[in-house]
Amino acid sequence: MKVKVNGIELELAPGTSAIDAVFAAGSDVPYFCSHEYMSPVGSCRMCLAKIGAPRKDRATGNWVLDEETGEPQIFWFPNPMATCTTAIMEGMVIETEAEEAVKAQRGMVEMTLINHPLDCPICDKGGACELQDRAYEYGEGISRFEFDKRHQEKHHQLSELITLDRERCIHCKRCIRFFEEVPGDEVLDFIERGGHTYIATVEEGLESNFTGNITDLCPVGALLDRTSRFKGRNWEYEHTITSSLDDASGSAIVLDSRTGRLERIKAELNTQVNKLWIDDSTRFGYEYVNSSERIKTPLIRKGDNLEAASWQEVSEFIADKLAKLAQKEAAIVLRADSTLEEGYAAKNLAKILETGQIDHYPRQLASVIPNNSASLNDLASSDAIFVIGDVSQNVPIVDLRIKDALKGVAPPEMFEHGVPIADLRLKERMIRKKEILTVAAPYNVDLMRHAGQAHIYEANSEEAIFKALTKIANGEDSSVAAMSNEQAEALVKRLNEANNAIIIYDGFSLASPAAAIAARNFANAVGAKEIILGQMANSYGLEAIQVLPSHERYGYAEIMQGSAKALIISELNPANNSQYAQNLKELELLVVHSIFENETTALADVVLPAKSGYEKQGTIVNLEGRLLEVNAAPIDAGQAQDFEFLAASIIAALGKEGKEDLASLAHKAIRKQFGVDSKKLDPEGDLKPLKPRANNKAKLHIQSTNIGNALIVPTMLRLEYIDKNPHLLAERGAAKLTMNSIDADANGLKNAEIVSLDVAGIKRSFSVQIKDSVPAGLWLIPALPEQAIGLLELDRASLKKELEPA
Amino acid sequence: MSVLDIAKGMGVTLGHLFKKPVTVLYPEEKVDIKPRFRGRHHLLKHPDSDLEKCIGCSLCAAACPAYAIYVEAEENDPNDPTSAGERYAKIYEINMLRCIFCGLCEEACPTGAIVLGHEFELADFRYQDFIYGKDELMVGVKGSKWQRREAAKKNKEVNIGVKSVPRKELEGVNYD
Ligand code: SF4
Ligand code: SF4
Ligand code: SF4
Ligand code: FES
Repeated sequence: MKVKVNGIELELAPGTSAIDAVFAAGSDVPYFCSHEYMSPVGSCRMCLAKIGAPRKDRATGNWVLDEETGEPQIFWFPNPMATCTTAIMEGMVIETEAEEAVKAQRGMVEMTLINHPLDCPICDKGGACELQDRAYEYGEGISRFEFDKRHQEKHHQLSELITLDRERCIHCKRCIRFFEEVPGDEVLDFIERGGHTYIATVEEGLESNFTGNITDLCPVGALLDRTSRFKGRNWEYEHTITSSLDDASGSAIVLDSRTGRLERIKAELNTQVNKLWIDDSTRFGYEYVNSSERIKTPLIRKGDNLEAASWQEVSEFIADKLAKLAQKEAAIVLRADSTLEEGYAAKNLAKILETGQIDHYPRQLASVIPNNSASLNDLASSDAIFVIGDVSQNVPIVDLRIKDALKGVAPPEMFEHGVPIADLRLKERMIRKKEILTVAAPYNVDLMRHAGQAHIYEANSEEAIFKALTKIANGEDSSVAAMSNEQAEALVKRLNEANNAIIIYDGFSLASPAAAIAARNFANAVGAKEIILGQMANSYGLEAIQVLPSHERYGYAEIMQGSAKALIISELNPANNSQYAQNLKELELLVVHSIFENETTALADVVLPAKSGYEKQGTIVNLEGRLLEVNAAPIDAGQAQDFEFLAASIIAALGKEGKEDLASLAHKAIRKQFGVDSKKLDPEGDLKPLKPRANNKAKLHIQSTNIGNALIVPTMLRLEYIDKNPHLLAERGAAKLTMNSIDADANGLKNAEIVSLDVAGIKRSFSVQIKDSVPAGLWLIPALPEQAIGLLELDRASLKKELEPA
Repeated sequence: MSVLDIAKGMGVTLGHLFKKPVTVLYPEEKVDIKPRFRGRHHLLKHPDSDLEKCIGCSLCAAACPAYAIYVEAEENDPNDPTSAGERYAKIYEINMLRCIFCGLCEEACPTGAIVLGHEFELADFRYQDFIYGKDELMVGVKGSKWQRREAAKKNKEVNIGVKSVPRKELEGVNYD
């Protein structure tokens, strides 16, 4: 379709909005309410332009021509038009610089500023504020408004994480639309009308996992992040763009740091992964890195105490001890969010130590690398989705991308200026195609609210379900637990007939290799692609590069049960398990690489300060098989180092340095394995899904239990750090023990009561949450990094009440 | 050059011998400073409420061409506010070694909190003593760090070499 913007002729696809035509022509028009990934509603009236179009004669069907020029005559709209809600037409003429357009834009700035307070100097948005910028570019600079401005509440705490300044709100409706359109949690709305309009929640609090995004998209400083309140001005922050290590999505984020402290995290655009959204754990779960309790120097055991030492000193000490060991006596364990570079370093160190006792954890029995993997953009345009597990807690971004698919709007085509500013296919309150989504889980999960079909099955029946569904897919008779035969058949039919069917499963299925194989077979049978939710950020990558034991005798659990004489462990706290702690005491050498002191550092011979995920440089592979860059923000972490440095200094102290350093070895290995240059990754990541190994040779000999009275469930929050994230803790509360009211009554428990419980050797404390949607007899326990997802047998007699609820 | 020229020159010299001298016997005598002289800064308070004018906005630091200012803000306790706004400066530091006394910080300040005063005797011994924090800059504090150290040692009043010259921006500052 031909359009003309300020004299420039363009050829654009039908359905493009006029505002995108303006930007495609290299012109500019101010806007507040339009947003890349939300419906255009035309509420701010800022994007005005003079618009006209030719007309066809009804009788002849020919263009009405201008009598003087002989060209089609342009019929102008009587008033300036909002370009964001106007679709282009053949021959449309858009003028943003026409006198009436400029006058209208200026008028709108003045009007918007009438009630906007002038407290920019104390506003956290100042310097990065769309209203400031537009007022500067398009405003008059003076106001004719002589009366008192509107006065409203300036500190309305929407939640522990977000504060609302009602005076600053310009009623663009972005925040309200966000909750309805993106996560589908309608928690905000306008109250009153006209100049009195304000934003409010129905009940107190914001019930959603994605609340923080409204602080990014508010064009003014009305909605602000409380964790970073008054920590610095926008121009003072160092902005580091990186990938989040919070979950397996690898969402793009910006780290805002100042004077060695991380002060704020914002979402960054990755059109392939998280678009412009991140969940609250990714955004607000960072405060621990600034904690004064961090270990900042290497520590070495002198008698009962740990004393500060230099890296050189401790490496020599470690090397001395390691040199005395025979083959296969040393063990190395990484946490599953370590980078690929750290993984390769661990493998190289293991090779030098001649040991196959190397593993990453949390890791489950089955592989997290799908056979036929789907990307997140595939997911967003899928027409049949079957989820088994708890996506929303595991990888919240996958939850959002599923909701994209429910709208039936495929990811937009890019313009040269980026994502379309107004995607006219998006509407407020769109009818969601719920029927394409089926969710099954052992308890009531959040995504079930949005599903056409939801099934609660008995824990640990994943294998049976997949097998039964496969039978149905192969035309045999079978019955599926928790589903009626019609439902099961309809599900299989839908997946079979869909063009882009996707099956998503998580740790519940991975806990048993048989279930994972059954899942894979089912996906094959119906021709669906798979998305597997690993428990941590680099679960995929570390498995891909085989940071895995050489033999099933040497897995994490076996190492903790005494298969090694020396252990180097990074970022895990196995000694929180009393039984493992006993075994760790027997070791000849225990080296603990950790951010904070814990039960394991208390047993260590050497403690080495670790870098957090915001201080590392490296590469991860997200759940799609996309290689993403992890960049380091300038945070003061003393002498903290990553595992690559740790391995290099031990290798140096052993005198076993090769010709090449670990960094260049890793760089080469990544190129060989994935075929990409890890130093020149695309900012949106390089999608390089691998073929899974036919067989996961590294099985743990402890088989998953088939019976149990408790389920370790995925949690969005990083519980190992929650105590040191004060704002997130205040909003989300301590770890929850969730159970049915029958169980609660049987144990005399009340809601919010604090209890302690021995969870398979780990003494943990919880606040009780009673939910009747949880099957009776099953207790839900949020996972720790030391405890992989799955069923377990709980000693309920170990339950103790700690405090009465206040 | 004629004798006459020499006599003329000597005449000028002689003439000056009988004029009132412009030199001041500094440091015995105090110097007479022009109102717009730019010496070390003062952080001012609202005289009526005793609340600090500074709201910790960092605009002075942004304006400073010498990167001499460092500000860290904090939220006011509504029951016991430090400043008149929502936020105040928890840390406010000026590095007097970097400062070129250009006055741009004063120009940028939206609340008139930071004002360049008339004190100029800033000499000291150690680098770190040139970092003036909130304690040193707050209105009511007279003299440089060294002057105050000396005075404390000798148990005397701080004596600065400047006379008070009124300037309306220096609200509450008193050099007497
Ligand atoms: S609070 Fe912000 S995002 Fe919400 S309507 Fe007001 S200005 Fe828009
Ligand atoms: S006077 Fe100039 S150089 Fe000195 S602190 Fe102020 S702005 Fe910076
Ligand atoms: S002195 Fe003025 S400009 Fe500087 S931080 Fe304080 S209020 Fe802002
Ligand atoms: S009316 Fe707000 S952007 Fe168009």
